[in-house]
Amino acid sequence: MSSVNKKWYSGMLSNEDWWAVWLGMSMFVLGLLSITGVDLVGWMAKTSTWVNPADGLKPAGKAYSDMHPIISLIVTYLVFTALTTTGAYFMKLNVKKFLYGWTIIFAITWAAWFIGHEAHFKAVPSDWDKYGIGWGLALGGGASYMLALAIGLFIGNFTKGFAKTLYEAAKPEWYIKTAIVFLGIKVGLMTMKAADFAFELAVSGMAATFVAYMLFWPIVYTVGRKIFKFPRQWAAVLSSGISICGVSASVATAGAIRARPLIPVMVSMLIVVFAMVELLILPPLFTATLDHEPIVAGSAMGMTVKTDGADAAAGAVMEEMMWAKAAANGVEYEHGWILTASVMTKVWIDMFIGLWAFVLAIIWVKCVEKKPGQSHIGKSEIWHRFPKFVLGYIFTWVVYMGIAFWGPDLVEAAKVGAGTVQSPMRKMMFMLTFVSIGVITDFSKLKGMGKLALYYAVALFLIITPIALVVAYLFHHGMMPPLAG
Amino acid sequence: MKPDIELILTHDGQEWIARNGDLAVSAESLSELDEKLEKTVGESGKFNKGHKVTVFMGFDYDVIPTWMRQYHTHYFNRLYTFEVC
Repeated sequence: MSSVNKKWYSGMLSNEDWWAVWLGMSMFVLGLLSITGVDLVGWMAKTSTWVNPADGLKPAGKAYSDMHPIISLIVTYLVFTALTTTGAYFMKLNVKKFLYGWTIIFAITWAAWFIGHEAHFKAVPSDWDKYGIGWGLALGGGASYMLALAIGLFIGNFTKGFAKTLYEAAKPEWYIKTAIVFLGIKVGLMTMKAADFAFELAVSGMAATFVAYMLFWPIVYTVGRKIFKFPRQWAAVLSSGISICGVSASVATAGAIRARPLIPVMVSMLIVVFAMVELLILPPLFTATLDHEPIVAGSAMGMTVKTDGADAAAGAVMEEMMWAKAAANGVEYEHGWILTASVMTKVWIDMFIGLWAFVLAIIWVKCVEKKPGQSHIGKSEIWHRFPKFVLGYIFTWVVYMGIAFWGPDLVEAAKVGAGTVQSPMRKMMFMLTFVSIGVITDFSKLKGMGKLALYYAVALFLIITPIALVVAYLFHHGMMPPLAG
Repeated sequence: MKPDIELILTHDGQEWIARNGDLAVSAESLSELDEKLEKTVGESGKFNKGHKVTVFMGFDYDVIPTWMRQYHTHYFNRLYTFEVC
């Protein structure tokens, strides 16, 4: 058996990217059916801020308010286990190993999510009286995210044997891409309230991404060639990985220039570890320095953090940190816009990579291989490299926008299902991402990668981050998230 | 347009390998692989001298480690054309 992307529909049942679409769309459709008056997703368990543990868990839908919280959690486990295990089967994963790993990761996810919602961790000062507490860390939803990440990192770095048993189900990119499909629903709902802002964010995000692209790649490539003396293929793959969209870009670029697969594999190992470094450092740094420009910070995050999982995770953590900081000062932003700025920028980057790899492949054939008449680059290469989860993200967004424009009478009913899919389901996928990304990140892999790691660090902190901040500021400064309520 | 020959392309860590049920060629670089392919096809006698042969080489994505597949799902395909000598 082999996996060759030959037809336009190749991989529809066998890769995570498409399975993020199927998983996302299945819940989207069930959620959308609330316009018929039936809530088919309200069984989903959700966490609430708690002092008494009995208040920390309940079903998301009002129609399911009589359901015991533990039953709700069991149904959540069974539904998502059925869906993800089906995906694992078609993706040719070891189903037994997947089921084991998934169950452990699911349990850690919910434990971290529940504990992180304890009022002393989560509640902001303005809510302390409500919960009868006199002190707290005021971390907002970030408490759960950070706890999940910490547990994942502990497993990945201190219990490596155990971590390996979870690898089959530790799929941060699959989970985050599914979450991004769900996020499309949230963006659709937010667009109902602030269409102009959403449009401005999308357009300025695209422009910012394009400008950043034009600057990042040539500068990082030149530094790699002239200062670090990397061979052409290594420099090209590293430049794409560091400056565009991480593993995805390094694989796409390596494919475009027909590099030996060893090169993108080595570079990808580096990227995954550095994505974690970015995830740990940038949210607190940007919150401390850019809380007056949250959309700039979100966009810069999208341009700087190099995997979808780490970027969305960093965006989510930063949003919670900024939200909690603003709330402490009496300002309450509507949740979702800072994360959207981060994810939207990343989605543009992901979409451009196919096009960039196509251009690079043509340049390589004509100028490096010098076989312009013999070796052809099919336009299908663009499609095969296109991130398919983006289709789900845009589709769910457009459908909910469409309901607002053409079926305003359905909006309230639509919000019943959408509320569950875009909030507890999406957040659960984020939490799964946090645990998984920690589990697969092994910092000891940096050993023996001295020169590559140094190049990555120099490029990230001296080139990518400063340029991303300047470009994000130029295109987004003054844009503030709408206030809640 | 349907290619004359369809091959699956892999890499074993040392060499590129292009194969189907009828033929298999391997080489360290793709340029060498193309040369060997032209020679092998020419010697097979399946195509007349001067015939322009189109070869589709689809990269077998199973070569990419499982943990990386979630990030990107395509390496590259090649369409290579040559004249039988």
